[in-house]
Amino acid sequence: MAAKQMTQRAPLSTGAGFSTESRAGRGVAPHRSRRKYRLLAWAFMLPFFLANFAVVLGPSLSTFYYAFTDWSGIGPAHFIGLANFAQLLHDADFHRAVIYNLLWVAMFLTVPIALGLLGAFLLSQIRRFQLLFRVIYFIPYIIASVVNAAIWQQILDPQQGLAFALDRVGIHWLDNVYFLGDKRLALASVAFVDNWHFWGFLVVIFLAAMQSIDAELYNAARVDGAGRWGQFYHVTLPGIRSVLGLALLLVTVWSLLVFEYPFIMTQGGPAGATQVMTILLYKDAFALNEPGYAAAMGLCISLLAIVVALIFVLLRRKGWES
Amino acid sequence: MHLPISRRRFLLDGSKAALGASLGGALLAACGGQGSQSNAATINFWYGLDDGNQRAYMKSHDVDAFNKANPNINVEISFKPEADVDRLIQIALASGKGPDIVPTPGPAYALQYINANLFLDLDTYARQYNWKNKILGWALDAGRVHNKLYSLPGSYQTLIIYYNKTLFEQKGWKIPTNRSELEGLAQEAMGQGIMPFMAGNADSRGASEWYTTMFFNHYAGPDAVYQALTGKLAWTDPVFVDAITLLRSYFLKGWFGGGVQKYFTNTFSTLDAAFAKGKAAMDVEGSWAFANWPSYFGPGNSGMDYDWFPIPPLRDGVPQNLYTLGIGYTLSIKATSKVASASARYLDWLYSTPQRAAQELADINFPPPPIPLNPADFPARLDPRIKRHYLALDQASAQGNFGYTTWTFWPPRSDVIAYSSLDKVLSGDMTPAQFCAEMNQTFQQELAQGVVPPIPKR
Repeated sequence: MAAKQMTQRAPLSTGAGFSTESRAGRGVAPHRSRRKYRLLAWAFMLPFFLANFAVVLGPSLSTFYYAFTDWSGIGPAHFIGLANFAQLLHDADFHRAVIYNLLWVAMFLTVPIALGLLGAFLLSQIRRFQLLFRVIYFIPYIIASVVNAAIWQQILDPQQGLAFALDRVGIHWLDNVYFLGDKRLALASVAFVDNWHFWGFLVVIFLAAMQSIDAELYNAARVDGAGRWGQFYHVTLPGIRSVLGLALLLVTVWSLLVFEYPFIMTQGGPAGATQVMTILLYKDAFALNEPGYAAAMGLCISLLAIVVALIFVLLRRKGWES
Repeated sequence: MHLPISRRRFLLDGSKAALGASLGGALLAACGGQGSQSNAATINFWYGLDDGNQRAYMKSHDVDAFNKANPNINVEISFKPEADVDRLIQIALASGKGPDIVPTPGPAYALQYINANLFLDLDTYARQYNWKNKILGWALDAGRVHNKLYSLPGSYQTLIIYYNKTLFEQKGWKIPTNRSELEGLAQEAMGQGIMPFMAGNADSRGASEWYTTMFFNHYAGPDAVYQALTGKLAWTDPVFVDAITLLRSYFLKGWFGGGVQKYFTNTFSTLDAAFAKGKAAMDVEGSWAFANWPSYFGPGNSGMDYDWFPIPPLRDGVPQNLYTLGIGYTLSIKATSKVASASARYLDWLYSTPQRAAQELADINFPPPPIPLNPADFPARLDPRIKRHYLALDQASAQGNFGYTTWTFWPPRSDVIAYSSLDKVLSGDMTPAQFCAEMNQTFQQELAQGVVPPIPKR
């Protein structure tokens, strides 16, 4: 296998038409050339590396440091070892926030993924108006979160939104239903809005993956008597497995880091019913002036995300995608 | 009129305009550097303000007027977004930069800078400019930490009850002067399908602390609150538990915002409109709400009229005409400022011009600083309701008949409990006793840490 790869790759790296003799005669030059290319590549990457260092790695390292300190955000930070992490173990608000994030992960690993797969599969079956539907599904994703949230706040407002409109025409299904005011409904309501804006993105990436599947495979499945569901299960899903895996990873990590929609729509309320980890972190850092404690919280969130990413890497290495 | 231009032309013209602007700006700056301001002490002053008209007004009346009268001092005001200004200042000061005159959202917030030695001791200037006689005593004392003055109060406010005057007249309702009358009025309004108190925190969860302030001060009483804030009484005392229990019962009856779930979804704009149309009878809110009502009440709007009255005592023994005091923002001088004397001179000017402050109140609804105001200081065209409000507040604070707002006198973590945990009480996730226990535990920790702001004595 390795030998085959080498023989296939050799002409690509040396150029077609060069004989072994001519390559030997120019033995030093390609080496220098490769080094030059490598240096050039590093030169191109350097500005991005420096920018990344300044805006990502630097703050990440400082967050790591402050997580072990008692710091008000001003003045010196006092090293307190693992005290912040010990406090997290007994922080009921943090425990509740972790549960909300896990619920969020569960909601986003099911509803939008299922909708994305369904939407993409249905779209892959049609030719006419496919582009139109893709655009329609994708539009919510490119609208600013603040705008999306404001629209849905209006729709879900019992005094001027959907409930009010239905009430005026004599339909009272939503009377006394407070989507964003009832602590039992608030998290699901905000997740619904985020989902509405997000699932079109999944449709587009799943559709792109589905379109790269060899059509002959579907023909073969049909010949074998597979229906739509059979084709989807035996051809489509295996064909997009790598993209699906990446989507699951991204959705999980993004769900652990979710901030915008709960913050804009409910500010973590009512009574903390949508206070996910990042909102609690924000509150600790800026309302309570405890960025040291917030940094410890942030580190825990990052660790959770890293664990998820590691599981994904492990699955890939075990050949889950192939 | 829309004049279409090509993209290339647009970019070309845009580049020329940008080049011209930058060259012009550089030339103007160069000329300015050699002009009359060269010897002036330049003071940097950052201020959070979003409204363009208010910015222009403030620059003209609070800055340019001073600069004109003081040729040796040049105040340069830099407006920042209201939502960002505190964070920007925090970052700037922490890195050794930032403005010479530093605003903070209140004494509790200022304390973190004072504890980090970032603010200048103002006692020398206080004596030089006699601020003791220019600024109301309680407000000046709120800026003292370890017997040193570090911050000055930028504005003051209180909680009152606004009411729909036209509705009251139509229904024959009287202004309540005690709890029994207040409850009778609420029941009467509720029975007629009118929301007794407009209330909602969908736009700002922090609004819930208005009610903590109201019930702690007007039920438990200002003396009990003072004792608790100074560590002589625990927040678990039955008088505070009873206060929160009463608050919760009012919410469960639907008197505030129409019920708990509705309260969590009510927005200010919807409530303001309902209040002005007589669908809500009263509103417990701060002095800042005066700025809202001209957009909703009066001819051209709802056609109805509003007025206000002080929150009545909710328990025997609590004084009448009690006003809880709050400070909107504070002003301090950066410890490393090279123009501290000039900055103090500017601060003194702000507190020595009561007519300017009252004029701002009339012109752009800017709340005045806590300085003694005489009826003659107010311009004739100022709404008499607002004038009466500030005169009553001045009188009450001079007589010591005041209480304490949570957002001014509670330390940071305790203040968050005053609204976030109150929401849990309202939603049934927490009992009033648990709320008070959490408040007490957090407050005692903060008291021990020395982060409770100075509490004006009674």
